[in-house]
Amino acid sequence: MNEIEQTGLATMRDRWITGGTSFDLAPAAWKEIAAGANPEERERRLLAIAAQALEIALRPAAPKTLKRRPPLPELALPMLPERLRPPLRAALKHAADARAKSRVVALVASRGFVLHPMDWMPAASDQTSPDVYAPWIDWQAGVDGEKHTDREQLTAQNWDDFYPAARRSALADMRRTAPAVARQLIETKGSSEPAEIRLPLIALMHFGLGPDDVPFLKSLSADRSGKVRELAGRLLARLGQHGQPGDGGQENPTAELAAFITEGKSGFIRRRTTYTPATLKSPAQERRRAELFETCNLVDLAARFGVTEPDFIGAWQFGADNNVDILVARMVAASGSDASVTHMADTLVAEGGKPALFVLHLMPRLDSRRQRVLIRLILKDTQYLGALSLAEGIEAGWLDWADLTNGKTLPALRAAVAGNDDAVKRGADQLLETLGFLVTAAAADKLIGDVVAAGMAPAAPSLGLLRLNASLAGP
Amino acid sequence: MEFDLKTIEALAPDQASLSAASRLTKQSNWPRLEKSEQLAIIWGECQGSGSNPYRVVVDTGDHGYKCTCPSRKFPCKHTLALMWIAATTPASFVAADSTPEWVNDWLGRRRKTTSQPAAPVPAAGGKSIGEALRDDESAAVEDAAAIERREAAQRKRAQDTRSSVSAALDELDQWIADQLRLGLAGFVDNSSDRCRRIAARLVDMKATALAGRIDDIPSRLMGLRSEERPDAAIRELGKLVLLAKAWRSTPDDAELRRLVSTSESREQVLANPDAIQVDSVWEVLGEKIETRRDGLVSHSTWLLDLNSASPRFALLLDYFPASAGRRSNAFTPGDRFDARLVFYPARQPLRALVVDRKGDVSSGQWPAFGFDAADPLASHVAHQDTAPWLTDCPIMLPPGAILLDDRGDAWWQSADNPHGIALPIADTVNPTLLGLDLAATATLWSGSRLHLLAAQSGFGRLDLS
Repeated sequence: MNEIEQTGLATMRDRWITGGTSFDLAPAAWKEIAAGANPEERERRLLAIAAQALEIALRPAAPKTLKRRPPLPELALPMLPERLRPPLRAALKHAADARAKSRVVALVASRGFVLHPMDWMPAASDQTSPDVYAPWIDWQAGVDGEKHTDREQLTAQNWDDFYPAARRSALADMRRTAPAVARQLIETKGSSEPAEIRLPLIALMHFGLGPDDVPFLKSLSADRSGKVRELAGRLLARLGQHGQPGDGGQENPTAELAAFITEGKSGFIRRRTTYTPATLKSPAQERRRAELFETCNLVDLAARFGVTEPDFIGAWQFGADNNVDILVARMVAASGSDASVTHMADTLVAEGGKPALFVLHLMPRLDSRRQRVLIRLILKDTQYLGALSLAEGIEAGWLDWADLTNGKTLPALRAAVAGNDDAVKRGADQLLETLGFLVTAAAADKLIGDVVAAGMAPAAPSLGLLRLNASLAGP
Repeated sequence: MEFDLKTIEALAPDQASLSAASRLTKQSNWPRLEKSEQLAIIWGECQGSGSNPYRVVVDTGDHGYKCTCPSRKFPCKHTLALMWIAATTPASFVAADSTPEWVNDWLGRRRKTTSQPAAPVPAAGGKSIGEALRDDESAAVEDAAAIERREAAQRKRAQDTRSSVSAALDELDQWIADQLRLGLAGFVDNSSDRCRRIAARLVDMKATALAGRIDDIPSRLMGLRSEERPDAAIRELGKLVLLAKAWRSTPDDAELRRLVSTSESREQVLANPDAIQVDSVWEVLGEKIETRRDGLVSHSTWLLDLNSASPRFALLLDYFPASAGRRSNAFTPGDRFDARLVFYPARQPLRALVVDRKGDVSSGQWPAFGFDAADPLASHVAHQDTAPWLTDCPIMLPPGAILLDDRGDAWWQSADNPHGIALPIADTVNPTLLGLDLAATATLWSGSRLHLLAAQSGFGRLDLS
């Protein structure tokens, strides 16, 4: 289309928009084609020519500023084979929330694969995905420009060359192997970062936390962010360091919390100290007590009663009030020393029954041996199978077929599957999903066969994760 | 297999279903017949009257069933035919190692209420397998006089239709002239009402296909930014003028008749010597299911010929009433199969039927197609040269990437020419796509927007439909 035609088309277009005839405005060559007909037919002919001119001769006007995202980085692990993507997508589709989806992702990573980016991508704020996804988290965060995120050693000099997620991943590794070097880096470079980046950096101190970290953590008591000060206090408490008492004695939260706890004695011959939740008068008081459990540290509370952390835990009467027991468990998980965490876990697991379930709150702080002991206990006991789905921070794909056949889990599952009680069936579905994450590939295969034989539909969505697990056995 | 003919007779909703089923029991209608002894199910794909095969699965234990056809009879003739084959020639079913995804979907959704077979309703209304077989045999017998009468009636109907359509196009011409006289600004604002009125007239005058196309114009205009709509209206109306003129010059042209009034039947396409047949390996690029204003749902399945040196596409197109409910998809994007397709005769053959489906093929890369480096829309221009009334055109784009403009709208741009032509994308794209280099992208170009179907990238095949 030449310039005359383009100009003609533009004026004809304007005439048609407002209404009227455009024959007089048409380029000469077009007029020639349209001429020799009645006025309406002339307009239609010109319309047909204009339509084709617009269709063929013109191209969309691209904006001058089209932004290109940096290429999505390749990850260190191979992509899940194409044949496994349908069962993966089925498992992801069935996973109800982000937590359930992250289990699917963790299972796949534990078998040495990463997901296809069109099947799943971590969010920019993701801090729970396997470390291998750090480059994608940084890509999602949308930091523009070229930076190298490969696995070279992080130092103060190349700090700015790492994106935040890659830096977090490198620091977490370093805290496990050379905690002092990592601490020094966090100390040197962290202070210049904004609070939202500083906080997760300091949270990394929980890897390999030791007495050498005390001076740095104490120095954070003057940090400008309240959340950082609170986190540092928790980490110090884990190391047995007492927090700062309140400015005024009356406002000391630990003292206020202690007042919500009743100290008593039990036993006829050997009198033992006991701690139980005080009976409160109003829901407002209960809310206040819950808040205090969230903010106070175990070491301070135990000191308030003049006992050590393990003594306080040993004397706490689990079972008296379920809600307060959960608050105690959470406080121990957040601020208890490693010794008190393992003490509480070992005591309650040995006791068994319902109190053992409170150990689920300690899971992220337990070593894998203790985690496995608790999972096996719950499976063997069978009574609280539903609680398994609450477990956080556990490893994927280690539970053997023998662990399932050791107790009454399988008979209970079979009965639930074969029965007609919808609520029980839903419970079985939930358990199968949890087991889909926990079991080995061989156990997943056997478990599918077992429940299908019991009457479950072979393609039931709740078997999705088990099927994926079983198919991840090998090439 | 737990079927006998008495059970099928009892399950059939009426004698007509049984008769129809008996005609579908020929093996040639069923490119796929499989079974799983372990799960006690049989399934198959029946090439019915639609472009897409109907997928049928039957539980041989409790006689539960599912078919993707839009029939309102339960069980439909395809289900009955599958049961019939199972009862009479069970060896036709191949034992499958694994169940296809669509069978798994059905199994996952259904809930068994009983492990016992559903008790068949006692045979009523004179349904009989024997009669169905007799119907089938007697169908072929028709005397010469009757044939003559039928053909004469057909000729008369065709002549009446042609006269009616011709009158319809006269009305359309007048309507287009009115829109130009009154102004396209008003047309764009009131396109919904104006198009509905003329479309209703065209339906009355047997220009049904054209009516459907005009009914579609408002939604096509509304999918664009307001400043683009007048140009789009010029394109849409101008193409109608061209189509009307082309039909008037050759009203017997199969392509033009299809676009203006009605489409030929499957049998007519198969019998047409001008219909091109292509034996090849096809990949399902994607599907588009749209509910139209006339109450029909159009189901488009786009295929790519993997043995062709230049990109060749095929479109399987079916219509069914929206009231029939949501249908299961006949194919899964990414499926590959070896098949013979017959194309509806056209200047740019695109719409096709699956004649003979031979089997599935494993997935892989697309062939290395040659691309026009200067103009990614070159194939669209070629289509327009021969058939300027066409709207959507499938194109294979060369290596490129998806970029965002300041408004957050997505554009495709060639990798070789980052400052060259960029093409706007119709829908919101998955943000992950913005970080992927696309080696080749299969799309539909509507004249103003790209509708992405699928792409090849460093991360393998991407399903974008």
